[in-house]
Amino acid sequence: MAEVRLKKLTKRWGDVVGVDNQSLQIKDKEFLVLLGPSGCGKTTTMRMIAGLENPSSGEVWIGDRMVNDDLPKDRDVAMVFQNYGLYPHMTIFDNIAYPLKVRGTPKNEIAPRVKRAAEKVELTPFLERKPKALSGGQRQRVALARAIVRTPKVFLMDEPLSNLDAKLRVTMRSELKHLSKQLQVTTVYVTHDQIEAMTLADRVAVMKHGVIQQLGTPDEIYNDPVNLFVAAFIGSPTMNLITGSVSNGMFVTTGGKDLVQIRAPDQSAAVLGVRADDIAIHDPGEGSIDVTIYAFENTGDSSLLTVQWGKQRVIARGDRHLRKDQDDIVGITLNPNHLYLFEPQSGARIKT
Amino acid sequence: MRDNTLKYLLVLPAVVVVFATAIWPLMESLRLSFTIGRLNRPGSLDQYLGWENYTWAFFDEPAFWNAVWVTAVYTLLTVALTTLLAMGLAMLLAPGGRLRSGVQTLLILPFAMSPALIGVSFRFMFNPEFGLFDAFFGLVLPPLAGISWLADPVLAFAVCVMADIWGWVPFLTLVLIGGLASVPRDTIEAAQVDGASSWRVFRDVTLPQLAPVLAVVIILKSIFSLKTFDQIFMLTNGGPGTATQTLSHYIYFNGMKYGQIGYAASVAWLMVIPMIFLTYAYARYVFRKN
Repeated sequence: MAEVRLKKLTKRWGDVVGVDNQSLQIKDKEFLVLLGPSGCGKTTTMRMIAGLENPSSGEVWIGDRMVNDDLPKDRDVAMVFQNYGLYPHMTIFDNIAYPLKVRGTPKNEIAPRVKRAAEKVELTPFLERKPKALSGGQRQRVALARAIVRTPKVFLMDEPLSNLDAKLRVTMRSELKHLSKQLQVTTVYVTHDQIEAMTLADRVAVMKHGVIQQLGTPDEIYNDPVNLFVAAFIGSPTMNLITGSVSNGMFVTTGGKDLVQIRAPDQSAAVLGVRADDIAIHDPGEGSIDVTIYAFENTGDSSLLTVQWGKQRVIARGDRHLRKDQDDIVGITLNPNHLYLFEPQSGARIKT
Repeated sequence: MRDNTLKYLLVLPAVVVVFATAIWPLMESLRLSFTIGRLNRPGSLDQYLGWENYTWAFFDEPAFWNAVWVTAVYTLLTVALTTLLAMGLAMLLAPGGRLRSGVQTLLILPFAMSPALIGVSFRFMFNPEFGLFDAFFGLVLPPLAGISWLADPVLAFAVCVMADIWGWVPFLTLVLIGGLASVPRDTIEAAQVDGASSWRVFRDVTLPQLAPVLAVVIILKSIFSLKTFDQIFMLTNGGPGTATQTLSHYIYFNGMKYGQIGYAASVAWLMVIPMIFLTYAYARYVFRKN
């Protein structure tokens, strides 16, 4: 158990910058998620913590030791790989026992510890099989068991759920969450799935182009995004971004229509962010503006209305009993308490 | 129906060629192995002896057993050393290994040379008067200069083994590089993180996953070592005496030089036994299911 500190960490391959001068402090027993689109440097960051990649500059600290020059085997971390990285020629038992064996654990301790780890992930009936004879979800559990069979200083998980089908992913996600609360070990978890990040993390670091855009709790990331990138990356459906301007405390959308009151200085150009849940749907004429329905989707637990005026499209979430048709006219109003205003060029948040 | 006829018609030429150039000569040699079969005695190719050629080889010919012994040692040494060296080089040259690219292309050169040419060039290189090695040792280790390498039974044998290794390591290295590339990186990295030293990663994770490729390499090389002929023929011609006389060289000498074609055929068929075994093993590994 230990905290992990990254100090001005950079990874370059020739001219390509993977991770750009990033510092990050991961607290003891914290579950930190590195979130971002592919190629944003999140996996590279994790691999540098594991020692599978050497930083071009900067330092990696685990506990009170600078581990830059330590081999992976000497860093006392456990890692779950995206493709599981199971040893195909060994039985499940031997797979889980491997970290114990190579670290010289006394023979009589190995079997009980493997059995305990296997029990935690419900693998007991499969210990004598080879990985090939298991399903994707079961292999995932083996990888997990191999990580938790020891108590390492840090768990590293590299998109561990991305190879599972959607249904299994949800189940495994909750099992992972349960397990991590139980184990209380510092964990770094890499994913491009914002739901995984939101549900699992104590804190999330959102990355783009090798730079951490925002570091915060899931609440902060969701409700107080620092820029357009974070705002658009988190949440499903994606946050609506409406182009327009601000004048006299009013956000004016394209075509000169007043959309919503906003406490901000005048802007000749601005982007307004609003989540689907913060748009209310009314009968025509009763909202701030009238819009045409571009598409109506019934998801069962709610309805999603893609509406359009001019070239602007936004998604609003309606009641699950709401029924509308394409090309119907409705009125919408935006909740003035949950609005985000951004600089269109830099994407920076304008405080309101 | 028409389709079927056409099908057989189309493969017929190939079948005829294989039959005429492989099956028929093979059967003919099997027949000859049971005859007196002296090239210089007319009619002897049809005089049947029964198993006498075979029993002669087994019980009355020390030279045969010498050739078996030479072939066995030669095969064991070349297979073991070539595989070990190729494995080491492949580890260094594989993606992520320490050497690469330019070296890799350069390495294939020896394999591009014909074995006979390798034999000739090594004979010159080990010439005690103007050979490359003589000049080299003269410079570095003077006591070793002026040795007649190919005149000493043990040294000549060593030179043969060396020439063979030199010729074969590159090709097997390439095959093993391919094999190493197919070992999932994940598993190696998982072992590193799990706490294994680089030797244990190799022993516990890389090697077991490389085993099928390694088996093919060893079997193939065994077949090639067993049938070595041209290199030895050009390098030492089996000498000094019979110190480097392999079975195929022994067969050639008895058949072509002494004209005992019947006896030579029987020895050749004795050699078929280990060959069949190895070919079977090879086929099992290459064409095995899943």
